[in-house]
Amino acid sequence: MLKLRLFSGAAAALLIAACAGTPAPQASLDAAQATPALAVDFYDGDFVDIQQFTTPGGVSVWLVTEPSIPIVSVQMAWRGGSVADPDGLEGLGQAVVYGMNEGAGDLDSLAFQTAMEDLNMSFGCSNGTEWTSCSATMLSENAASSMALVASALTAPRYDEGPFQRFLREQEVSLKTRETSAGYLAWRAQSQALYPDHPFAREVTPESLAALTPELARSHMRALMRKDGLLVTAVGNISPEDLAPLIDNAVAALPETSDLPPVTPVALPQTAAADPVIVPLPQPQSLVRFIGPAMDRANPDYFPAYVLNYTFGGGGFESRLMKTLRVEKGLTYGVSSSIDPNPSFTVWSGGGQTKNESAGDFITGIREEMQKFIEGGVTEAELSDAKAYLIGSYPLGFDSNAKIASNIMSVRQDDLGVDYFDRRNALIEAVTLEDVNRAAATYLAPGRYSFFVVGEPKGLTAE
Amino acid sequence: MKRILVAAGLLAFAVAGASAEAAPAANTPSSFTLDNGMQVVVVPDHRAPVVTHMVWYRVGAADEAPGKSGIAHLFEHVMFKQTKNIGPEEFTSIVQRSGGQLNAFTSWDYTAYFERVHKDQLGKMMELEAERMVNLIINDDPKGPFISERDVVKEERRQRIENNPGALLQEMVLNEFWKGHPYEITVIGLMDEVAALTPQDGLDFYREYYSPENAILVVAGDVTEEDVRVLAEEHYGPLQPTGQAHSGRKWQPVAPLAETKLITHSDPKVRQPVWSRYYLGTSFKRDPETALALEVGLEVLGGGMTSRLYQSLVEEQKLAINIATFAWTTLHDEGPAVIYGTPVSGVSLEALDAAVMAEIEKILAGGFTEAEVVRARNKLAATAIYQQDSQSSMANHYGANLALGFTLEEIAAYPDEVRQVTPEQALAAVRAVFGADKNYITSHLLPAEGDL
Repeated sequence: MLKLRLFSGAAAALLIAACAGTPAPQASLDAAQATPALAVDFYDGDFVDIQQFTTPGGVSVWLVTEPSIPIVSVQMAWRGGSVADPDGLEGLGQAVVYGMNEGAGDLDSLAFQTAMEDLNMSFGCSNGTEWTSCSATMLSENAASSMALVASALTAPRYDEGPFQRFLREQEVSLKTRETSAGYLAWRAQSQALYPDHPFAREVTPESLAALTPELARSHMRALMRKDGLLVTAVGNISPEDLAPLIDNAVAALPETSDLPPVTPVALPQTAAADPVIVPLPQPQSLVRFIGPAMDRANPDYFPAYVLNYTFGGGGFESRLMKTLRVEKGLTYGVSSSIDPNPSFTVWSGGGQTKNESAGDFITGIREEMQKFIEGGVTEAELSDAKAYLIGSYPLGFDSNAKIASNIMSVRQDDLGVDYFDRRNALIEAVTLEDVNRAAATYLAPGRYSFFVVGEPKGLTAE
Repeated sequence: MKRILVAAGLLAFAVAGASAEAAPAANTPSSFTLDNGMQVVVVPDHRAPVVTHMVWYRVGAADEAPGKSGIAHLFEHVMFKQTKNIGPEEFTSIVQRSGGQLNAFTSWDYTAYFERVHKDQLGKMMELEAERMVNLIINDDPKGPFISERDVVKEERRQRIENNPGALLQEMVLNEFWKGHPYEITVIGLMDEVAALTPQDGLDFYREYYSPENAILVVAGDVTEEDVRVLAEEHYGPLQPTGQAHSGRKWQPVAPLAETKLITHSDPKVRQPVWSRYYLGTSFKRDPETALALEVGLEVLGGGMTSRLYQSLVEEQKLAINIATFAWTTLHDEGPAVIYGTPVSGVSLEALDAAVMAEIEKILAGGFTEAEVVRARNKLAATAIYQQDSQSSMANHYGANLALGFTLEEIAAYPDEVRQVTPEQALAAVRAVFGADKNYITSHLLPAEGDL
């Protein structure tokens, strides 16, 4: 249900960005010139009420007002993550986000961090594979001052030599420690085996770190963070008319647009190698990971597969992988699977850890469970249990500001529409046994899955 | 006057409460006790039609008999298996079919079970927890579910500890730190002792510790005290106290370290050396005033990027990648106060050790400023406001504190009390813990020989 409501706009004074190490000045919200009324689309949902508006500065915002706790969180996201690092400059996006709370305007790193502490706020940015995001959490009584500090970071990040060199020192340690991280080694083996030439397989190297400079970070920051395509969501004790000018001020200095290379989807092979890839690592357990091609949300198989995954490996103790490999055989503390419908990289993957001696049994067990789905499908009872959980537990994802903030940002990033939360349960309810078993036959064929083992597995034939 | 800060297991939750804007009265937690001795706490949060239902038992790994390490935790797993009226492995099925999420955890001081559900399902969750409080069946088939669950716990131990050189080293250090104390052995237990646990051990443990008078019910979420009272009386009210629950816990003050020691662990998986020092700290239960002051003092000393040690060792001297201090103050008995750091390449652990301790000596001689202590106090108090966003962490916060024996009033007093810590008190607490006359354990996590 969409209702249009008009709020009279409170006007924003121009906020002062610099705080000079003392508690930031309380910016005045009512020292106002007249501003046009803010047009707010009010979406009255079953799980969450979302206010959509475009700020006078042109930023599209989704806000969930929640007055019962005196906090506000604001998220920003831009398409373009580490995949946008130029060749030979892997790690540049990481350097960009590292510097975002390390000094801005008149404040050096220590002064900026101290200003955040004085306001009891947090602000930081992250550089994922395909998205760059910033997040600020603040006390609502300090919202104006806190957002002024965010504004200074987005306007004039310093990228001083000191924090930049510290970033490099930390990265050097990461390059060393990742070589004995089972998860990282599995990821690397998977990338090299399945999509070695795709940008998603690139790694930060000593050489790429050596090529980074503060100047490159400063300019790449403006390539990643721009007004065009900026998604903003907020949750907390604040109104649209109070929030809009804070957002406008925060992003005022960002460039309108930038050039980032498009991402070509990864095409996983439909048939996998018969034997697992083994990466040696001296530890008592083997980490086992399996991965195969899946589907995006536009594919009619997506919801059937999503429901099927609960019975396969997504449903905790209710999944067949857990029932067989943990409860019945005692082979593992946990085994699970999930589907990622990201159009650039649609995968069905999963795994767990087991003692080296049982790595072979563990892999065999996973393949046998896949085969059973192909041959016998799922039962009516399993389908009904899966739907009951997936629908019945959905409200649990909306019981905190943090979860709501994350959920509404996901809906924006995946462009699912403001009514998605209210449509989603019906899409699950509509899945039939035929749908699920068709998806099983198509996607769970063991031959589609590549296996990767990190540890010292006994008795396995390696690829 | 007691003061408190709390954690579940090793996860530090900072504490509840107050700033200028106190929580509305409608969300104030309240408590009552059923006739059978079961304590009930209600933590209202009406933002979503969801509740977190927890049952806390006043028993943990600290209560285990000699040679039976790991039974508290393995038994927690067994609680999901079967009861008189719930078939094998059906407990989880029923909860998930009801749209619920569930789990449990064990610490030295307590064991807790929880379900998160739509509020309409609260009664059913109470029915289930009440059933397994009194009607658990432990299958004694030597090839049956108790044995396979034991294998699961062995895999859990490998995954949590044995795969991880840092966790292995910490286990050795804590074993030495708490030598002779009930916290000496890690909660999950020693591998060979876990491997020898029997169904009978599980049954004995159940009979001794699981009964309504030894349990605390916490319900957080979209409910009122009256809603909970009606349901709790219906489902938990009829359970008879066994009268067997232990009258006293094995808790005891932790003895000062008898000598200073260095414990090293070399492992081919270690690519970055790490240095740590463990001193005897305190706990909010044993010494609330000191614990409160220590929290504030350690925040100033090594709490984050703005802390004294970080600014000196990482920013100015550039000897470390990171450096921090923290104290385990939320166990019932005293835990360690720890300083740890990672050197930059080319700096030895010995050199880092010397530089850190010289800096601490300098800081303690010079004292803390009013401004940095105010900032540390406010940070600790504000964490409590942010914590209100998570229904689960509020339920954990109250449950853990109550299981240690604190009252609702004591829990509520923390934010006001932390704001009253003076620079002198914070400094004195840090000095008392890190004093030159104190013994300590140093730990070195090192690459395998020849790997450096």
